[in-house]
Amino acid sequence: MTSKYDLETIELPNKWKASPLFTGGLILLVIGAVLGLFVRGQEAGPDAELRFLSHSYLANFMFVMTIALGALFFILVQFVARAGWSTSIRRIAELIMWTIPILAVLFIPILVMVFTGRSFPYEWNAPDQIHSSVIKAKIDVGYLTKEWFTLRSVLYFALWSAMAYFFFGHSRKQDESGDVEHSLARQKWSGPCIMIFALSVSFAAFDWVMSIDADWYSTIFGVYVFAAGMMAFFATMILISIALQNAGKVKAFITVEHFHDMGKFMFGFIMFWSYIAFSQLLLYWYGNIPEETFWFAVRLKDGWQYVAYALIPLHFAIPFLGTISRHVRRHRTGLTFWAVWAIIVHWLDMTFLVMPNAGPLNVLALAGHFLGGLGMFGIFLSFFLMRASKVPLVPMKDPRLPEALTYANPIL
Amino acid sequence: MNTHDHKVKANKEPRPPKACGWMAEFENEHDLLHAAEKVRDAGYTKTDAFTPFPVHGIDHALGIKPTVLPFIVLCAGLTGLCTALLMQWWMNGVDYRYIISGKPFGITPASIPVSFELTILFSAFTTVLGMLALNGLPRFSNPVFTNPKFDRATDDRFFLYVDSSDKYYNRESVRELLSSVHPASLDEVVEDATPSELPRGILLGSLLLVLAGLIPAAIVLNMRASFSDLPRWHVFFDMDFQPKKKPQQTTTIFKDGRSMRPQVPGTVSRGQLVAEDPFYLGYDPMKVAALGNDKQVYVSATDAPESFFQPPVAGDGGTALNLPWLDKLPIEANEANIKLGKVKYETYCSACHGYSGFGDGLVAKRAASLGQDTWAPPTSLHADRVQKQPVGQIFHTISKGQGKMASYASSITTEERWSIVLYVKALQRSRNAKIEDVPVEQRSSLTDAPSTPAN
Repeated sequence: MTSKYDLETIELPNKWKASPLFTGGLILLVIGAVLGLFVRGQEAGPDAELRFLSHSYLANFMFVMTIALGALFFILVQFVARAGWSTSIRRIAELIMWTIPILAVLFIPILVMVFTGRSFPYEWNAPDQIHSSVIKAKIDVGYLTKEWFTLRSVLYFALWSAMAYFFFGHSRKQDESGDVEHSLARQKWSGPCIMIFALSVSFAAFDWVMSIDADWYSTIFGVYVFAAGMMAFFATMILISIALQNAGKVKAFITVEHFHDMGKFMFGFIMFWSYIAFSQLLLYWYGNIPEETFWFAVRLKDGWQYVAYALIPLHFAIPFLGTISRHVRRHRTGLTFWAVWAIIVHWLDMTFLVMPNAGPLNVLALAGHFLGGLGMFGIFLSFFLMRASKVPLVPMKDPRLPEALTYANPIL
Repeated sequence: MNTHDHKVKANKEPRPPKACGWMAEFENEHDLLHAAEKVRDAGYTKTDAFTPFPVHGIDHALGIKPTVLPFIVLCAGLTGLCTALLMQWWMNGVDYRYIISGKPFGITPASIPVSFELTILFSAFTTVLGMLALNGLPRFSNPVFTNPKFDRATDDRFFLYVDSSDKYYNRESVRELLSSVHPASLDEVVEDATPSELPRGILLGSLLLVLAGLIPAAIVLNMRASFSDLPRWHVFFDMDFQPKKKPQQTTTIFKDGRSMRPQVPGTVSRGQLVAEDPFYLGYDPMKVAALGNDKQVYVSATDAPESFFQPPVAGDGGTALNLPWLDKLPIEANEANIKLGKVKYETYCSACHGYSGFGDGLVAKRAASLGQDTWAPPTSLHADRVQKQPVGQIFHTISKGQGKMASYASSITTEERWSIVLYVKALQRSRNAKIEDVPVEQRSSLTDAPSTPAN
């Protein structure tokens, strides 16, 4: 018996190749860097160019890294919740998650910066230039040292890659055997993995982003970065799904109900990001003590105040109202628009976290930084294509697939 | 129909139970969905399905249109948001302007959590109540309950019901339509013949509950309206009377009888003592002896004993003039210091002394309205004797307290205290300003005004 599912090919379109995307991304990254460097070079200050470049690279790296981590969390949650509805879209998330081991390569330039003893992007890396007793203390206890920083970074990537390997591996084995044991094994380990994920992502956010300003500390910072990444991940998954369907693939497998649910998740994490971002701001605003507010002070001057205030409507109010309606979430064009929107504001958010420490806002330099972000996203997508080639885009033998295919949202 | 009527008459029932519609029973949800689609396609809208578990797609099969509830909830949420913002703007920005931690009046980031909560509260209540209202709930009885087969709707059977109030309802055609989908059984639902009035026991019980609910309110009302010589009744005695002392209380532990302890002699705050002694004391200790004062002279603030931190002369502050007070501000009288002084004055002083310094702060007003004789009204900073006080003495009052006023040295840094003195001086000056105090270019705007009070 042939059904509409048998008539489809569930592999990447032949035209989708990783290498042109990778080359294009790399070129954009270089153009962005050159533009940024050229503009920054006009300004005074020692090492202004390299300072700008390292911050820009870090921000753009976090931009794509958080998306891949969002995919990892999504997979973990599907197995913790024993979810059936998502089975037909789960492979796409698995492939995004499976880019994490390759993304580790993109972290190497940051480690190079740290190991050459530069004071940027991490000023704690030049202890003799530090005047702050808080940072000195963190260096003295041995936490913020280049060796320990590197070790932790390697540990994060090892943990995430191991989890990704485990979950992707079982999924692929199930493609052949259809054995329910592969689902049960993933269910069993998803709980502990979520705990490891929560801690490692939180600490990675502290180490990689928060320690740029090592004087400042926010315990909620890891959650902030996680929330931002989740929103961008759902946006990325929506865009990849729509692009695949436009190329004539997986049309019967990903229904409007799945788009509706991915849209709900994106909407939810727009709200969650706002909730976390505001919670962080409110406590510092209320306490109003200098060692806590200076992080915001840096981000509320030299042009960055426009970015800071723009994030309120761009990252919260407008997309919140834009995606609040189910009609938008079930509408392909509407969903595509808001997914692109979410990815761009996620880039702006990561820029807001990192770039103010590199110096005043300069529109042309920001444009260069944006080109870099675009290039980084292209490289990220090329990693996705690399992983997705010759892999079926739907876990055809997953015992929960029938549930996903008949799943429907209730009519409200 | 005839046989049915005949039977009813034969049983000598008072009146035949009214038919309310048809109910078909199905053994699985697929048959139910199929039947529901047929009924929907036939144009019936007053239909309902009863299933032991939620059946996906049943709302579509029944032709239930999307509800308007989300829009009602959206409106309620926005109402909650506006209510919260208006409330906080009115309370903290208009009606009761009280500075808390030096934060501005009206809508601030601190208003967001309340706005968030009220948005959720209004939305949640509207969702639940709106759902009940739109479904016509609560409904204590339903004609379908009269059929004993219906009990299995919570167990293993699926029911489809077509109500006789439907626009296209015709007894025979509905029966035929439902028969055509082969239900496990098909019955006409009749009205519940049992009395529809509430049993008297339930009425009486509810009345008693309502009356019992009024008892606490009655007790509270009685307490509010009556007087008693008995001490207050304490439910949690050890919470009301904790073994600790609060500021302004007396104690037998210390010789001076004060529970609020002065700083240990020689206490120096971090970053303190970077200037000469007068900066920290408000007077020059080196000159005290020269005045022939019988008070002991301390070379610096750090070796002064405990008694030193009492006001220099007990009683009215106006008589304590025989110390060599500073009469010149040790800080610069610039705009930044005035602004700092204003912020600190309004944060710490205005609660009692009032924003303009007349001793009419919100705390003072409240205390005056209570009429308690233990309350000493705060001094007006425009009183003659305060006007005459040198800056050092005002500084000393802030630092060491005066009468009922506590010391603020631990809350306000030395520099900030001097900036408050500067601001107080500016306040005093503003009440006794001469035309020469106004910048030349702005004088005309005052003198040209028709009713300028000549001060």
